[in-house]
Amino acid sequence: MKTVNSDTRNRSPRRRADQQPLTVNRRRFLKAAAQAAAFLAVPMVVPGAVVGRDGGVAPSERIVLGGVGIGNRGSYVLGCFLQQPDVRFAAIADVKEARRQAVKKRADAQYGNQDCAMYRDLREMLARQDIDAVLIATGPNWHAAASVLAANAGKDVYCEKPCTKNIAQSFALAETFRRTARVFQAGTQRRSLPNFVFAIELARQGKLGKLQSVHAHPAGLGTSMSGWLPAEPEPDKESVDWDLYLGPAAWRPFNRRLLDGFNFEKGGGLVGGGCLEWGSHCVDLCQWAADADATAPVEYEPKDGRLYARYASGVRLVVRDDGWLPLGSCPVRFEGSTGWVETGDNGDIMASSESLLVGKGAKIGGYPADFHVRDFLDCVKSRGQPRANAEVACWSHVTCHAANIALFLNRKVNYDPAKNEFIGDDEANRLRSEALREPWRI
Amino acid sequence: MTPSIRTYAWSLLLTGVFMAAGSLTQARAAATPEAPADRERKLIAVLESDAGPAEKAITCKKLAVYGSAAAVPVLAPLLTHTDLSSWARIALEAIPGAAADEALRDAMGKVQGRLLVGVINSVGHRRDAKAVPALAKHLKDADSQVAEAAAAALGSIGGAEPAGILEQALATAPASVKGEVAGACVRCAERFLAEGKKAEAIRLYDLTRQASVPRQRVLEATRGAILARGAAGLPLLVEQLKSQDKATFGIGLRTARELAGPEVTQAVAAEMDRAPVDRQTLLVMVLADRGDATVLPTIRKAAQTGPKPMRLAAITALERMGVAAGVPVLLGITAEEDRELTQAAKAALVRLPGREVNAELMARLPDASGKSRRALIEVLGQRRVADALPAVLACMNDADAGIRSAALTTVGILGEEKQAVDLVALLEKAQTPRDREDIEKALLAITSRAGAKCLDALLPLVKNSNSELRMVGLHTLASVGGAQALAAVQGALQDKDEAVQDEAVRTLATWPGNWPEDTAVAEPLLALAKSGKKTSHQVLGLRGYLEYVQADKKLKDEDKVNRVRDLLPQITRPEEKRLAIAALGTAPTAASIEMVLAFANDNAVAEEACLALCTLAASDNLKGATKELRQNALQTAATKAKTGRTKRRAQEALNRLQ
Repeated sequence: MKTVNSDTRNRSPRRRADQQPLTVNRRRFLKAAAQAAAFLAVPMVVPGAVVGRDGGVAPSERIVLGGVGIGNRGSYVLGCFLQQPDVRFAAIADVKEARRQAVKKRADAQYGNQDCAMYRDLREMLARQDIDAVLIATGPNWHAAASVLAANAGKDVYCEKPCTKNIAQSFALAETFRRTARVFQAGTQRRSLPNFVFAIELARQGKLGKLQSVHAHPAGLGTSMSGWLPAEPEPDKESVDWDLYLGPAAWRPFNRRLLDGFNFEKGGGLVGGGCLEWGSHCVDLCQWAADADATAPVEYEPKDGRLYARYASGVRLVVRDDGWLPLGSCPVRFEGSTGWVETGDNGDIMASSESLLVGKGAKIGGYPADFHVRDFLDCVKSRGQPRANAEVACWSHVTCHAANIALFLNRKVNYDPAKNEFIGDDEANRLRSEALREPWRI
Repeated sequence: MTPSIRTYAWSLLLTGVFMAAGSLTQARAAATPEAPADRERKLIAVLESDAGPAEKAITCKKLAVYGSAAAVPVLAPLLTHTDLSSWARIALEAIPGAAADEALRDAMGKVQGRLLVGVINSVGHRRDAKAVPALAKHLKDADSQVAEAAAAALGSIGGAEPAGILEQALATAPASVKGEVAGACVRCAERFLAEGKKAEAIRLYDLTRQASVPRQRVLEATRGAILARGAAGLPLLVEQLKSQDKATFGIGLRTARELAGPEVTQAVAAEMDRAPVDRQTLLVMVLADRGDATVLPTIRKAAQTGPKPMRLAAITALERMGVAAGVPVLLGITAEEDRELTQAAKAALVRLPGREVNAELMARLPDASGKSRRALIEVLGQRRVADALPAVLACMNDADAGIRSAALTTVGILGEEKQAVDLVALLEKAQTPRDREDIEKALLAITSRAGAKCLDALLPLVKNSNSELRMVGLHTLASVGGAQALAAVQGALQDKDEAVQDEAVRTLATWPGNWPEDTAVAEPLLALAKSGKKTSHQVLGLRGYLEYVQADKKLKDEDKVNRVRDLLPQITRPEEKRLAIAALGTAPTAASIEMVLAFANDNAVAEEACLALCTLAASDNLKGATKELRQNALQTAATKAKTGRTKRRAQEALNRLQ
């Protein structure tokens, strides 16, 4: 990783021409941010030799991986897994034939054989005793149900976000992985990226003074719905298994417009949507910064196009689309009594004071999942808990769902995290869960 | 968000609008709140009407929030409806009260197959104890999916009666159902434990782990059996840790992190001593996660001696435990030869939290020597221990080149403008090229942070008698930027030493401009482009100027085009043509397109030109271009582009235009 201070003459400053100074002198911060050596803020990973990924991995010690529903995002994450020397990708389960074939082609090309098995029904793949772990990258409709199925089948799970459709699923996910002692990693890879980790450490270590508010970008605060569209001729099961695609979602006739798994039934199809989309990343980071990985805010109020929440600690969570510095997608901001810090997907960090940025590691732009995938694989071996484990994912999703319920009801709601109850609020309480279509259950 | 998002969402549903997946509902108009009873009455009326299934389905979903016992009679019949049963259950699972329970219980006698599975799942979700006898019957259903659902529902309900039924089924159920029965037993045991009924919980866990059930069930029952016993579960835990079976050992590793008590820590440590290396490394990580300081001596010892994987794991463990007591061992390892070990130890020292660690590190600096001294200096820098600066400054003159180098790096990290003065002074006395290089790096680190505050220290450098130092001056001034620095670097264009002149040109051509702050560099760059002393000066000036034109957002599009046009006679090589195309690509005007069209005829830059044409011709902000010009541009791109991707992009834009 090249750092700027190694040779100022070789910089390409003009690439930053679109990033204008806002409330602080951006130039100064960019320069300061690039000073430090790389490894300080890079997430701690277990040395390779410790968990057998240093090239000397016996075949019997490899992690045999299966995939469930590998589309666009899944394809990227699968690439991160395939790069790991101690992973052997063995099977794909997908309701869409074209995707099954594409994944098989990729895996077979990687290994130079024809061994990647294909399954239409994930249950058949999960029944294989040789598979240790699964990458679940279906649409959010299936995330929790498939994760629970996998855990019950004795598999460790890396699951894309959002991981659950409602509050009840969030708790079911945490309880299942606790009971089965399987390893779960939510695909919230920003938990393993240096700029976010650095900003969070500033907040957690008191370097911003007493933490007062944490801010998350939700990618829209609307509520999205997946409806019942006019029936179209259903394709044959091998091509697209509509019944399995619907899975736990209530029945409706086939319509190809509903085949966009990325949005289908996100957040239960009624109160999901924006806050879950990026909230499962940004709210999750705010939870960490606010030392709230095992709880959720106690009140939520939609106001002036934003969602304001408050933790029992007094820290406010502000979920907003507006007012962000130009730091790329999925930004977060943490404000304390003496300073603030903000960062996003371009890898830059801005802060109220130059001195806060001393110690920042090398910039990693974009949002690579390599660190996060590695963290998961190491924990598969050590049986430790990865960064975005089921408990952590549970509470960050509970917060997003509670926020969405407040947005949907368009009024303030009060939540008791200890009891998992909206206080004196029957409407909100009923939105905590939703029946799964037969035969699925969690 | 306006006040009516919910009302608007409902209104969409009530009017029977079919919504596409992911369609976003936005609040648009305020509406008068409806009385709850009226709202429910209207929803019930929909279910009683001839409305289509789509509308009835969404109505069920609304009744999940707003329905009461009054809605149950219209929801219950839908439980037998193949398409709407799942929607009806959404409402019935959520509506509080006995009426919904009764409806679901009744339905268990009316439906079969998958619909029955769904109804049983809802009964389980509601934890309806009155349904236990019916569930016991369904546990023996010939349809294994129904029997499994019944087992799961009994597990959810929990309590003595369901547990008894499940316990019996654990012995008698067919193999296809046993896994679910065992899972339900574990959930019943969990509930017993939560209710303080430890003996019942342990009994059920033990029965399950000893039954002939799927492996995963055995593992989770074993975990439960250990945790439920508390300290008395230690022998069972150790049994797992001794197992040769990987999955059994794995459940031991996880449970060893969960079971509290110092005796557990000691048992894991003892097991670590006996285990083979590959297991030792995993066990030491368990100890780290337990965070019990009593095992520090064991971990410190493991970090110092033994096989490398074990030592690496122990170093990681010391880091995870995060105590200053790990510092001496880690520091000792930094002096070893093995690079992986020393790097791991340094990383651990950098990450160990706490001010007491800083104090420990600083206290050790005066007496440290050799590799340890060097590592200490590096770590103090990485940890940003500002208080260590005076001690580190003294190390800049150390006899050991490695220590000097580390000290300079750390001064670069910790230093401020005052240290820039010190470094400039040191630069004059530098003995070796390596020292000079390190000093320059440290200086650059400080100057790029401290900015103009360092100018007084830097400006004399460009007048130094030593030409190499004058060049360092150019680099550091460039990292500061601004008018004074720019003037000084411009002055160096007339330096007596040709090498310094060349460096001044290079510095200007890559001036770390922060457009539009540093646009003043445009003038000397243009002068160089037009009348530089050497061809290389002209080329570098031209390149720098074209980059400036591309990046300066304050320049109007027309001005950008004119500036590129003025230099066209000099833009003859592919490298500069590419920069010109890039600059024109940021100015969406008809004139830009015309100039880029000309570049598209040059085979060497045709692809870049075609890409720019795609961007320009498809731009919404394109000024003064006729449709014909756009079409011409896109047609040219579709024809002359080298790559299929650009051709497709051009063709798609062309199609949209037509």
